[in-house]
Amino acid sequence: MSNYIRVGRRISRREFLGVAAAGAGVAFLGGCGGGGGQGGGGGESYRLTLIVGVTGDEFYTTMECGAQAAARELGADLTVQGPEEFSAAEQTPILNAAIQANPDAILIAPTDRAAMVAPIQSAVNQDIAVVLVDTTIEKEEIALAQISSDNVEGGRQAGEALAKQIGEEGKVLVISVKPGISTTDQRQQGFEEAIEAYPNIEYLGTEYCNDDPTQAASITTSTLQSNPDLKGIFGANVFSGQGAGTGVRQTGKKDQVSVVAFDASPTQVEDLRRGNVDVLIAQHPNDIGNKGVRIAVGYLKSDKEPSSKQITTGFTTVTRENLDEPEVKEYLYKAEC
Amino acid sequence: MANTRTNAQQEEESKLGPRRVLPHLAGSAFIFLILAGLMIAFSILEGTAFLSRENFLNIAVDASELLLLAVGVTFVIITAGIDLSVGSVLVLSSVIAAQTMVALSGTDQQVQNFTYPNQAVGIPLGIAAGLLTGLVCGFINGLLVTKLKLTPFIATLGTLGVFLGTAQILSGGTNVPYVPPAIQTQVGTRQLLGFLPVPIAIGLVVVVVAILALHQTQFGRYTYAIGSNAEAARRVGIDVDRHLLKVYTLSGFLAGLAGIIDVARFNTASVGAHTLDNLAAISAAVIGGTSLFGGIGSIVGSVVGTFIPAVLRNGFVIHGVQPFWQEVAIGIVLILAVFIDQRRRGAEERM
Repeated sequence: MSNYIRVGRRISRREFLGVAAAGAGVAFLGGCGGGGGQGGGGGESYRLTLIVGVTGDEFYTTMECGAQAAARELGADLTVQGPEEFSAAEQTPILNAAIQANPDAILIAPTDRAAMVAPIQSAVNQDIAVVLVDTTIEKEEIALAQISSDNVEGGRQAGEALAKQIGEEGKVLVISVKPGISTTDQRQQGFEEAIEAYPNIEYLGTEYCNDDPTQAASITTSTLQSNPDLKGIFGANVFSGQGAGTGVRQTGKKDQVSVVAFDASPTQVEDLRRGNVDVLIAQHPNDIGNKGVRIAVGYLKSDKEPSSKQITTGFTTVTRENLDEPEVKEYLYKAEC
Repeated sequence: MANTRTNAQQEEESKLGPRRVLPHLAGSAFIFLILAGLMIAFSILEGTAFLSRENFLNIAVDASELLLLAVGVTFVIITAGIDLSVGSVLVLSSVIAAQTMVALSGTDQQVQNFTYPNQAVGIPLGIAAGLLTGLVCGFINGLLVTKLKLTPFIATLGTLGVFLGTAQILSGGTNVPYVPPAIQTQVGTRQLLGFLPVPIAIGLVVVVVAILALHQTQFGRYTYAIGSNAEAARRVGIDVDRHLLKVYTLSGFLAGLAGIIDVARFNTASVGAHTLDNLAAISAAVIGGTSLFGGIGSIVGSVVGTFIPAVLRNGFVIHGVQPFWQEVAIGIVLILAVFIDQRRRGAEERM
């Protein structure tokens, strides 16, 4: 990390002094030459770049940890980049620049199914192996492989967990982000499939909170007005679950209503400990990153494509009881490696 | 705001007549040196990974949308106004353009199978619809500022929400699917004469026209005059409201054009994107020497101001700088660039 500080400062300061001195370009030239060069450089270690969907997100950070661990083990050199905003307009310039650095492989979490096809194609055209992690694109076949959670299965696990929490009977509600998002729609589908098996569970349907915890909370409180005997809520993503937990607490019905939420970021785990939510369905981003690097390096070494292009990773059901068990703990998301 | 201006500043502004284009361009020379310095630095650090025709084309294509926004916003800021809604106008225009293309290019069934029998009609009409949307949005901003006498900050902050919300309502909050790929192959990724990508060509044309309009025409003189002192402009017989209406409409139109480029590049309308484009466009103008108090500014400066962050980001990614440090470094560079530029200008004015 300290290396980065030096690089950042050196470029900016030196530059301006150099320019202000007008014509002192030569001095500047010498100054920058010493800056930390491209890592590795030699022929023996593969250079990989991981481009996440958005920086500062614990899901992606955990993925990065898994990728770094695999890269270290295999002796590859991994650089991580990502946009500030989850959008193709911001991710494309970063991908373009990463391609310019000509790595051996790029692992990328595409921010849009259609929009990222062309930029990823240009990486493939330059003989850079591309592995899609977490999200995908329409022309999936141009990538070496696609690794992600099986969201239908995750939804099913959430349904089972909630059924168990509420003693297999009572009214349940799903709070999701908005219609049309493949991941949350699949979780909802899996959840519905799972609870269908329980005749005593009444499904109230899905409400959408636009990824806003405040809206999720108000959906929860108003549902509790119309259905005071509500017993369970499944929040299909981070903010849906967080808002559901807040809403339940606000109405003072914590003992009556169980909340199952997707993902396991540090704040969610804190919510679980404090009893705001009761179950977390943790994806395995660490595995996604890890497998992504292994597949890329395996391909670079052997020149053979992986036997399966579609790879799914599992889930861990996290409760207050099993939270501190090592085999559960390793799947909680990390804010830093 | 206008009456807090110094004599020196006003003198400076009064010099900005049509015959003063060259000296004025020279005013952007310093900030251009900073950009050149950055490019030299990255060329030395990264060699051909940075210093290549392909990379420069990529940087320019990636910056093309922001460039159009920055040009529009520059006109607005020179009139001592502000346009915070440009990112939303971009999104709304791209949604309407994309949906028009999808609706007119074939039946639902055909489109979902990626066949577009009527795309020769659908695509041009979609482009027209998007441009018209931008025009109308800009016109609305202009009306709010001139007829309702709202401060531009509040007027465009309000429309920022209105336009973005409308885009979300129309699209259901998700990116518009099934946009005909022809818009991408024929416009977005097409290279004119085999080397000039269409988004760059559009940017070049807009920049050249804007330079001429701002520095050579009555339109440009009015723009500076209103920004320097709106009351004085009114007294010499300039129809200030009418001119402001045109300037805001221009900004909206350019944002609409940027929206078309967005659809053409990404083959979809991205509803969740461009939330920070307004600030990026304003900072590009300010880095380029445009004064937030109005009356001072240039298109060339805004072009350079657009490319400084773009080049920095590109170079940092190639160099492998960690993303969070990139933000810090870009922020520092922007502050330093403007600070040094201001001091230099101040020194010149005292002479």
